[in-house]
Amino acid sequence: MRFRSFAIAFAVAFSITYAVSVLNNYALFTYHPAIGEFGAGVQKGRDGPAMYWYGWMATSGIVAFLAGVLAALLPESATRRLWPGLTWLVALIALAVLAYDLRQFFLK
Amino acid sequence: MNWQTVLLIVHGLLAVALLGAITHQAASVLLPASRPAGSFVGRFRAVPGPSYVNAVVVLYVVTAVLGGVLYTEYRVSVRTVVEQLGMWPAHGAFELKEHFAAVGLGLLPAYWYCWRVAGEARTRAALTAFLAIIVWWNFLVGHVLNNIRGFGV
Repeated sequence: MRFRSFAIAFAVAFSITYAVSVLNNYALFTYHPAIGEFGAGVQKGRDGPAMYWYGWMATSGIVAFLAGVLAALLPESATRRLWPGLTWLVALIALAVLAYDLRQFFLK
Repeated sequence: MNWQTVLLIVHGLLAVALLGAITHQAASVLLPASRPAGSFVGRFRAVPGPSYVNAVVVLYVVTAVLGGVLYTEYRVSVRTVVEQLGMWPAHGAFELKEHFAAVGLGLLPAYWYCWRVAGEARTRAALTAFLAIIVWWNFLVGHVLNNIRGFGV
């Protein structure tokens, strides 16, 4: 039962945090592929492009893990009604929002 | 042949294995065989879905990690060319691929759980279909981008 709560909360929190991180660029760190260096937080590219995807993943992973642990610690009576369908529904909405954000690439 | 090319081939082979496993499982849960399978399609649908769960999770994670390692080379060598050629739909499709891969990773614990318990049949089917769509999209987009501009040669 505890893993059920963890898994649902993790999936929902990950999808939401990932979408928010991408849209607002809340990257935990930046990777500079041209020089092979990492930098804390969001940074501009050094000698080439900056990569934020790893930082978005880290932000989302940490928030989702904390949300999952919190949900698993809640009493069973509070989490029993947690609908597992939220996992795919929230993920679907998050991807729809991100796809809409990328619409300019498909309309050029 | 440099290490990126070797890694890209391994990434592609793992993606093929993942594609096969998740497609088999999705077919078994969305279109279950109602009687003993006689045809190829019937046998394709009649596989025991639960036996694919661990393989799908492991293949998804390993394929995603390898994709993450290769992403740096894509960003420097491939994306620049795609942008210079003005191939915006291909560029957008790859951006979507990275989002699909990330959100799919977040779903894996719930997917694993739903296949481990007797209930949750609808969520199990939905999550399996969702992951199958993600894997198919990512496989096809990766293949198209590699056709546009492979790397490491």
